[in-house]
Amino acid sequence: MELTALTIRNFRNLAALDVEWPERGAVIIGDNGQGKTNLLEAIYYLVLFRSFRGVKDRELVRFAEAGFFVAGSAGHRVTAGYEVHGARKKVTVDGAPVGKLGDAVGRLLAVSFSPADRVLVAGGPAERRRYLDVLLALSDRRYLDALTALRAALRQRNAALRRGLAEAAWAFDEPLAHAAAAVAAGRLAWVERHAARFGELCAALGEADEPGVAYHLHRGGAVDAATVAAGLAGARERDLRRGMTTIGPHRDELRLSLAGHETRWVGSAGQQRTAALALRLLEAESLARIHGTNPIALFDDAFAELDARRQERLLSLIGETLPGQAIITAPRDAEVPAALFDRPRWQMQGGRLAA
Amino acid sequence: MSVIEELTAELAKLPGIGRKTATRLTYHLLKQPAATVTRLAETIRAVGERVHPCTVCGNLSEVEPCPICADPRRDGSVVCVVEEASDIGPIERTGAYRGLYHVLGGRLSPLDGVGPDDLRVDALRSRLGNGSHVREVILATNPSMEGEVTATFVRGVLAATGVRVTRIALGLPMGGELEYADGVTIARALAARREMGEG
Ligand SMILES: [Zn+2]
Repeated sequence: MELTALTIRNFRNLAALDVEWPERGAVIIGDNGQGKTNLLEAIYYLVLFRSFRGVKDRELVRFAEAGFFVAGSAGHRVTAGYEVHGARKKVTVDGAPVGKLGDAVGRLLAVSFSPADRVLVAGGPAERRRYLDVLLALSDRRYLDALTALRAALRQRNAALRRGLAEAAWAFDEPLAHAAAAVAAGRLAWVERHAARFGELCAALGEADEPGVAYHLHRGGAVDAATVAAGLAGARERDLRRGMTTIGPHRDELRLSLAGHETRWVGSAGQQRTAALALRLLEAESLARIHGTNPIALFDDAFAELDARRQERLLSLIGETLPGQAIITAPRDAEVPAALFDRPRWQMQGGRLAA
Repeated sequence: MSVIEELTAELAKLPGIGRKTATRLTYHLLKQPAATVTRLAETIRAVGERVHPCTVCGNLSEVEPCPICADPRRDGSVVCVVEEASDIGPIERTGAYRGLYHVLGGRLSPLDGVGPDDLRVDALRSRLGNGSHVREVILATNPSMEGEVTATFVRGVLAATGVRVTRIALGLPMGGELEYADGVTIARALAARREMGEG
């Protein structure tokens, strides 16, 4: 997949950008705070219609402006607009407004690499659940629908539990159990299918310490609705006491390990970065296989913290798994591997791009 | 606040009307003949004063009981349960239904503060009590998650009454509202209703 044109209006510090992208992408050099990451965030906004930094739409609007607009062409033309007044979001695909965001999610595909990805490995289980949810939502419409239903059912059931409305809470057990089973089944199947490849990618990046990945169902969790429903029924007393739902995939864990111990706890900073890179490469491979096209690669200062040996190994893997378009940002030329300068170099300053 | 601003603010509170539309409506009204505006104001006042929920079914009506409950030609053995009084109109317009109605007054949604006690479920159970002619209750709540959950909940409450409980067939798209569905779709959903298992 190839981004050919991008339009940005009032997105963070980017007042107005109209960019024609070269087939191979570009290297963008600029000091921190000039808008490099904002540019990548705007591109990725067209994938999920949410910030990859997890902030609210309102916070993406340039200071004192009424809203933002982003449009990108990559085969399809995808646009997203947000108005602060009324908190209105409008998304179109090829000129037609979409009724549900789910109809537009994944039309534009990208994978983002950033030093902040280390939190995927070092952070809490919610980070890794989100990784799976984004990847699977972009891969399978039924997963996205199940995930949406799961979140809605959890919000309703938890609201009922907090208010002590027991009967109302149990009424949501059935849709919750169905959605929970579908989400857990989707995650488990993906992890089982890709566990070996995760190990290979880590090894290729220089990890010698028996890297592993597994999906752990939380107590009471299951991949069939009847078992989840039974678990929910058995946990009613406890849920009512705690005012929250204690059973379901929102408690499951994607566990990364080194020689059987959690990478989160035992991995060095370098080992955690390696595991995070392997997850991103796996994401790219998985999306490419399902969609039959390579996602656009976004590298946000992604090479800075890697030693020369890891850089070299990463570059060779990128050459295999992400041979297409790449947009690379860095504060200085020296922080971009020389091999990536086979594409134009642009400067970014104060939210503007210059050749 | 000037009276113009006041009207704009009141209109902007209505569903689906933003500040821009409210302003446009206000200036439109200002350009109308006085009689037109007075008629509108009086109609709004009359609606507020004269229209009340029917004490039997919850339908909104100027008379008590409502014309549907009072009509002897209606089939008193079937009761169609809907979320809101505004759901009755679309079903009536299909001409395919001749039974009675029962308005719940919402759907289970703890997030919006709506629990079982906020719905007219007890009133429904009373209607099915001693001496009742009702043989079938059709649950026509919306095909959203909350509508489904509400149907299941009502089904559970009615289990002890022994009355046959059916659910409209979901020809309606998931998340689609009964209120906005076309007549053919609603008629088909009613005709293809199916038994609801024990809730
Ligand atoms: Zn009535």
